[in-house]
Amino acid sequence: MKEMLEKELDFDDDPLNAMGVSRKSLVIFFLIDTSGSMKGTKMGELNTAMEELVPEIRRIGEADTDVKVAVLTFSTNLAWMYSEPISIEEFEWNRLAANGITNMGAAFEELNIRLSRNSFLNSPSLSFAPVIFLMTDGYPSDNYRDGLRRLNENSWYKYALKVALGIGKEANDEMLAEFTNSPDTVVHAYTGGQLASLIKKIAVTSSQIGSKSMTLSDDTIGEIGVDDVTDSKQRQLEKEIQDIVKADEFSKDIPFDSGW
Amino acid sequence: MFSGFNKTVIGGSHTDSGKICQDYSEYYVCENYSAAVVADGHGSRKHFRSDIGSQLAVKVTLSTLSEFLSDMDEFEKSFRDDPSRVIKKIQKHIISYWNKAIAGHFIGVPITDKEKEPFTDEQFRAIKHESMYGTTLIACVMCKNFSFGIQIGDGSLVTVNNYAVAQMPIADDESCPANLTASMCNTNAIDLFNHFYTFDELMAVFVSTDGLFTSFGSREDFQDYHTILVGLLDDRDAFMNAVSKNLVKRTNHGTRDDISLAGVYSQNLIAANQEAIMSQIELNRKMTEIRKAEHKAKIEKQKAKAAMMRNRSDSAPEPTQKYEMESI
Repeated sequence: MKEMLEKELDFDDDPLNAMGVSRKSLVIFFLIDTSGSMKGTKMGELNTAMEELVPEIRRIGEADTDVKVAVLTFSTNLAWMYSEPISIEEFEWNRLAANGITNMGAAFEELNIRLSRNSFLNSPSLSFAPVIFLMTDGYPSDNYRDGLRRLNENSWYKYALKVALGIGKEANDEMLAEFTNSPDTVVHAYTGGQLASLIKKIAVTSSQIGSKSMTLSDDTIGEIGVDDVTDSKQRQLEKEIQDIVKADEFSKDIPFDSGW
Repeated sequence: MFSGFNKTVIGGSHTDSGKICQDYSEYYVCENYSAAVVADGHGSRKHFRSDIGSQLAVKVTLSTLSEFLSDMDEFEKSFRDDPSRVIKKIQKHIISYWNKAIAGHFIGVPITDKEKEPFTDEQFRAIKHESMYGTTLIACVMCKNFSFGIQIGDGSLVTVNNYAVAQMPIADDESCPANLTASMCNTNAIDLFNHFYTFDELMAVFVSTDGLFTSFGSREDFQDYHTILVGLLDDRDAFMNAVSKNLVKRTNHGTRDDISLAGVYSQNLIAANQEAIMSQIELNRKMTEIRKAEHKAKIEKQKAKAAMMRNRSDSAPEPTQKYEMESI
C-alpha cells in the first residue's frame, strides 16, 4: 500500500509526512471596552497602539510559538473582530469605534463560552494557557459578577495569564483586580501617551511570558511542575508589570479626564 | 486475525536535558482479543517516579484485561448486558492494582537521597506517594464482536471503521486545559476516567499520548493521519519503520514531548478493504484542501468587510469634540 500511496496519491517518500508538524501555540485574547465613554482620544490611541502592536507580537511568534489573536469588543453589543482566533501572521487590526453602554458581564459570559476545546481553543497544538488582556474605562453597566463567577469555574481562565488596563479615572481598579485575581496585574493609564505605551509593553510582556516553555528548569531542582510553572509565570508577570508601571513617567501628558 | 504494535520515542526536550522517557506503551494479542495501552508519566518535579508509574500502569492494565477477558463468553454476556458497568469495574480494578503496584515499588525501592535532594523536608513530606508515580493511561481493546477503550488524563483514542473513517469517540476533557491533566494519582481517579464502546466492526483502534496529538495543526489532520496509518498496516516492517521515523520527527519539530503510539487491528479487514482505505485517504486530502480554502476565504471576507466599514467611517465628518466624557 505504501507504494500505492506514493504513486497514485502523489505522496512524498513518507505518507505520514502529509500532515505537517505544528509548533506550540498561544492564544491572546483582547477584551476591549468600546462603550460611548471610550470615544475620542481613548479609542484613537487604543486603535493606533493596537496597530503598532501587531508587528511586535508577530516577532514573538517568529521563534517557536504559533501566536493567535482573538479580539472581543463590548459595549451595548458584543462583537468578535474575527470569527475565530487567527494567526498573528494573518491578523490585521480593524479600527474600532465607540458607542453604547458597558456590558462587561455579557463579555465575560461570551469569553467563558469561547474558552473551550469545543470552541476557540480547539487547536491540538495549543500548548500554553491563554493570555487575556482586558481594557476598559468604566464600571460595568450590567451585572458582571455572574459572568465572572462562570469564568472562575472555567479551567482555561483559571490558568490564563490575566492583565487589566484601566483607562482614565473612572476605571475601577478593585473590579479589575477581581478579573485578574491580583491587584499587581492591574495597571492604569491616565493619559494618551501612557495608554499607548502600556498597551504595547503589557501585551508584549504577557505574550512573551505566556509563550515560554511550560517546563521551566533550573540548575538545582530540574523540571518544575505545571502548577509551579503557572504560579511562576503569574509571579513573573506581576513583577514585570509593576516594573513597567514604575518605569513609565508621563506626568507631562494631558490626562484623559481633563476634558480635552 | 488480530494484530498490534506499539512505539514510544523520547521527547526532544527530554533528550536535550538528559531526562529519561516518561512514556510507556505495550500491546497484547491473543485469539480472543487484542489490547494496546499507553501511559504518559507527568515527569515534573513532584512526580519524580512517573516513568515507573507509567510502566506499572500499562502492565497492570494488560494483566487486569487478561483477568477479565479470560472467559470471553462470560465476559461478552456481561458486557452486552451493561457495557458501562463492566468498563467501570475494569477501571476500578486497574486503579486498585496500580496503587498496590506503586506501593510495592515504594517499599521495595526506598527513596534515595538524590530523589529527596530537590525538596525541603517539609516539601517532601507533603508529596503523596501516589503523586511521585503520577501518570495518564489510555487503553483500547478489540474483541470479535465489540471494542472498548478507557482513558484517564490527556492523550487520544482513535477508531477506524470499516469505511476507513477515523473518529475520536472519547470527548475532550474540559477540566484539563493546556498541559494540565487528570491522573491515576488523583484521589478521585475513578471519576476522572472516560470510556467508549461499540458493537460495530472496526478495522483498527489506536491510542497515543498527548505528544502526538499536540504535534498536529487540527483535529481533522490528526484523525486523517490514522487513516494513513491503517493504509500502511499491510506491511508491518515498513509500517514500524515509517512510524518510528515519523514520531521522532514529530517530537523533534513539534512540542518536543515524549510520544507513544500503540494500536490493535484486524489484519483480515484491512487486507479486504485496501480500496476503501485508498479512497478515504484521497477523500481526506481533498477535504483538507477545501477546509484550507474555506478558512482563507472566511478570513479574507472578514477583512474586506472591516475595510469597507473603515472606509465608511473615514469618509464620515470628524466629531466636533475629540473626547467626550459620557456618563454610562
